Amino acid sequence: MRDYIIKRLFQMIPTIIVITLVVFAMMQAIPGDPIISLLGDAYDEEDAEKLRGEYGLNKPIYVQYFRWVSKLMRGDWGESILSGRSILNDVLIRLPVTIELIIVAMIVALIIAIPAGIIAAIRQNTWGDYTAMSTAMIGISIPDFFLGVLLLLLFSISMNGFLPSSGWVYLPGTCPSVVCEASWWGNFKHVVMPAIALGVGRAAILTRLLRASMLEIIRMEYVTTARAKGLGERLVILKHALKNALIPTVTIMGLQIGFLIGGAIVVETLFAIPGLGTYGINAIIARDYQQVQGFILLVAISFVVLNFLVDLVYSFLDPRIRYN
Amino acid sequence: MKRFLLTAVAVGEAVPAAPAKARSETLWAQTSRRLKRSNTAVFGLLVVVALILVAAFADVLAPYSATDTNPNAMFQMPNSQHLLGTDQLGRDMLSRIIYGSRVSLTVGLSSVVLAVFIGLPLGLIAGYYGRLYDTLVMRAMDVILSFPVILLAIIIMVMFTPTDGFWGIIKVTMAVAIVRIPIYARLVRGSVLSIKEKEYIEACHALGQRDVKVLLKHILPNCLAPLIVAGTLSVATAIIVEASLSFLGVGIQPPTPSWGWDLKANVAWIQDNAWLALAPGFAIFITVLSFNLFGDGLRDALDPRLK
Repeated sequence: MRDYIIKRLFQMIPTIIVITLVVFAMMQAIPGDPIISLLGDAYDEEDAEKLRGEYGLNKPIYVQYFRWVSKLMRGDWGESILSGRSILNDVLIRLPVTIELIIVAMIVALIIAIPAGIIAAIRQNTWGDYTAMSTAMIGISIPDFFLGVLLLLLFSISMNGFLPSSGWVYLPGTCPSVVCEASWWGNFKHVVMPAIALGVGRAAILTRLLRASMLEIIRMEYVTTARAKGLGERLVILKHALKNALIPTVTIMGLQIGFLIGGAIVVETLFAIPGLGTYGINAIIARDYQQVQGFILLVAISFVVLNFLVDLVYSFLDPRIRYN
Repeated sequence: MKRFLLTAVAVGEAVPAAPAKARSETLWAQTSRRLKRSNTAVFGLLVVVALILVAAFADVLAPYSATDTNPNAMFQMPNSQHLLGTDQLGRDMLSRIIYGSRVSLTVGLSSVVLAVFIGLPLGLIAGYYGRLYDTLVMRAMDVILSFPVILLAIIIMVMFTPTDGFWGIIKVTMAVAIVRIPIYARLVRGSVLSIKEKEYIEACHALGQRDVKVLLKHILPNCLAPLIVAGTLSVATAIIVEASLSFLGVGIQPPTPSWGWDLKANVAWIQDNAWLALAPGFAIFITVLSFNLFGDGLRDALDPRLK
């Protein structure tokens, strides 16, 4: 297990290098000369040349890249042009909110998908199966932000604000500033709608997958053996069949992380949740490219780290992975 | 040897429209027969065709302009003049939905075509020639896959600077296509890897056929079935990605009407004018649903064993 973890850690290095290259290329491609916008009306050729020298902008592009990366590694992610605040600090404060949303959405997906997948498989071609599969089809086709709007209408607008339509209450002890609210119940009320909006699409995909792998497994001989030796149906399904049917489901859940991160950006914008997504989108609208850069770097690196963690969980569940 | 040759011809030509003289039913005939039996797939196809017609004839069908504002007709409830009401600038919502279909369908369909056009040859080369080609192509795909889909699309849109009109659509199409290339490259590479081990390909080599001919005539047609299914289902995903970009404000820019942007803009008025946000939302949902229904039906029809 230790060797596997070390191997996977080393595999992350080239990915992170690629991410920095893409983000650097993006910053280069953004139209407009930063020096011109920095000097504004006070622009003159001599001052501009001096500033270019100061920021190293007259150096060859690869020198600029290495200087930029070494600054990033030292924790200097720049300052926001608009607010002057440290970017690394700002994005790190917002990361836990986005992570919480993703984790709760994943739990929602599993709570729906596991029973629905099992019922659809053991009652194949009955109305239970058809209901589960048609609901899954709708779940796959409905964009997360539209489901969010429907939930808003149902639980917030028509129920007189039973669930809050926007904003955030932090988990106790995670408050990033002095002026924010923190409570368990408040946090739950704020996370539940966005998490359902984000989780239902994933639940639909997992349900279809779990049904397919369950159908395959309940026809296997070892399941027949389990039945033949007199085990109850509940035990056969939940203990013998489900365990093996879950392996492909977990793999696909790992692949869903990218969609969950992307979806979180969208859903956060809809519910005005102070996570990474709203930070990034506001930065793009305000054209604060230092903030955009920080947002993209942190989201992309979180993606790599989350994939790594899922691989660890997976190799723990299915030891065969480690030896290949 | 002669037997090998015969199978080569039979398998190689079974997938594209084979000559009508072929003794057994062609795969296409079989597929469309199975497809017709699935009500949901037919329903999906009909809605898709209807939507394409709506987008094509938007100028004729839309009762009003999608962009002309009317200060005397703001926030009208759905009525006989404005079937879906009007928005905060007095623009007719039905007309905006009709014109908005152009963006969704153009981006959805053409981004998939573009992604297949790039991904297919990459997958063929990687799978067929292997070694260095394979490593190069697959590493390039890994670069794309090291970002979440929406995030990479956002990065590309920031680089392109989102605009309205024709160029706006081109930019969004390219962004949505680029993030989806690896899907097709990987799919085709996988099929090529298994097909190239088949005996009829060995027979082609034994006959001294050139690589290009083997690839295009014998391998390519056999990769098409899964590619068509993936492509159809991908249109649904592409439309969601486009709508998400518009929703975030980094897709196509106003005044060009798009469903995602309209949904976002009208969420602000949801308290009193919910239908303004519901109309574009349902438009996206129904479009995506029909492509999914048709794609699922197509998959079951092409390979009934998967059902």
